Amino acid sequence: MAEAATLEGTSRRLAGARLRRASGVVLGWGAFVGLWAFTSSVILTEFTLPGPLKVWDAIWVIVTAGSWADDFLISISKTFMGFAIAVLIGTPIGYLMGRAGYWKAFFHDGVVGAGSVPGIVYAMMALVIFGIGYLGPVLAVGLISMPFIALNVAEGLEGVDTDLLKMSKAFGRSERQSLRHILIPSILPFAFAGVRLSFAIAWKVEALTEVFGSSNGVGFQIRFAFQGFSIPRVLAWTLMFIALLLLIERALAVLERWLFRWRTWEQEE
Amino acid sequence: MATLKIENLTKTFHAHSKGGLPTRAIQDISFEMSGQVFVSLVGPSGCGKSTLLNIVSGVDTPSTGTVTVTQDGKKARLGYVFQDPRLLPWRTVMQNMLYVSDLHEEEGRANATKYLEMVGLEHAHEMYPGQLSGGMQQRVGIARAFSVSPDLLLMDEPFSHLDAITARSLREELQVMWNATKKTVLFVTHDVLEAVQLSNRIITLAHGGTVFDDTTVELPFPRKASDPDFAAHQAEILGRFEVMEAERAAAAG
Repeated sequence: MAEAATLEGTSRRLAGARLRRASGVVLGWGAFVGLWAFTSSVILTEFTLPGPLKVWDAIWVIVTAGSWADDFLISISKTFMGFAIAVLIGTPIGYLMGRAGYWKAFFHDGVVGAGSVPGIVYAMMALVIFGIGYLGPVLAVGLISMPFIALNVAEGLEGVDTDLLKMSKAFGRSERQSLRHILIPSILPFAFAGVRLSFAIAWKVEALTEVFGSSNGVGFQIRFAFQGFSIPRVLAWTLMFIALLLLIERALAVLERWLFRWRTWEQEE
Repeated sequence: MATLKIENLTKTFHAHSKGGLPTRAIQDISFEMSGQVFVSLVGPSGCGKSTLLNIVSGVDTPSTGTVTVTQDGKKARLGYVFQDPRLLPWRTVMQNMLYVSDLHEEEGRANATKYLEMVGLEHAHEMYPGQLSGGMQQRVGIARAFSVSPDLLLMDEPFSHLDAITARSLREELQVMWNATKKTVLFVTHDVLEAVQLSNRIITLAHGGTVFDDTTVELPFPRKASDPDFAAHQAEILGRFEVMEAERAAAAG
């Protein structure tokens, strides 16, 4: 009886917490849209800052025209390609940095320096080197993301529990088994944190590079709308861009919770 | 039959800081153990007990001397129970058991299940270590070590991080498991009561990493601390400890 009552109480509390969170999201968006409408109609003008309804109309026009998905797909593919390059280069560099003091000294300043270069510099350099095309944004995304991946992988390796490695050796496991079952799982949460952190930055740089030097993609569409003095379209593309970013961010959060579900209990302890 | 032979073993750790002195953890230790024996290494903290176990397991290397562990003339298979459970937190209990197994998947699962049942964790296969209490995690550690069918089982103060009640219950379970399997066991502890309860033979290490005493315990199993013979054995060994401390104090001046 008592157990059933406790269970009922717990599920009621959980449902209450979920409802509070959902209402927080709705009210947060409501406040944002309200402030936007107020600023647009009272502080500024509809010409300099179009209101939510006008931007919604522009979104509707873009969506019904049908080619918006192509632009997003192109931007996404460039971002993921750049990200793949960052992971391919950043992971081995991070691995070396985390395993040996010499390699840490060798790479540290370069990697930290690369991480602190403003995104616009990468965007301009990509334009200079590759001109208008597909490769520029890919390279810019790769360069801006790589330091985050490398530093997080190195941090993960430095935090590997050496007692687990000793256990593995005592039971006669091979270096390869230790790598697969101990080192990689130790690094993964850090690498994932690096991915999430750099993803938002990578997207911005990708869009920025498209503004400068691309003939397609979301960044190109924003520039195209700006050149046509269509501020509602600029904001429409920007909002759609934000919506996609939020979706990907949520998907990454779900994936992270699933991949590292064992940590739930570690954290509860 | 597993045989552990340690000859003139010395281990010196080099100083980490410039100008620091090297530390001698073990000094010229020799002993041999063989067959269905449960040998306890007892001694004060810092006398080199755990270092000795690490060298025997191959995790550490000796400075001089030799350690050989053989099973019928071949290299013996080792199992190790550590002070802390050392389970992979990202793997379930079953996956932790399978990690150290050389058997095929199905066979490995059946084998792991058998040993998890022996430690009362048949319900915990799919649980993560973080979901288990410290005592349950250590039970998995014990089951894991037994599951590899070790010729020699090394145990490094496996109950020292547990509360007294859990430690007592695990000692009793270990006694039952040892009686069922009769493995060759080298057990490190600083608890004389634990050593008398579990062992056939007790080797006492002194400060400085030398063998001070080597004695057999001929009491029937299961042993209870309330038994007068048990108490007499325990008192005898503690008496030798006092002699050892007195000799050390006299040597220090």
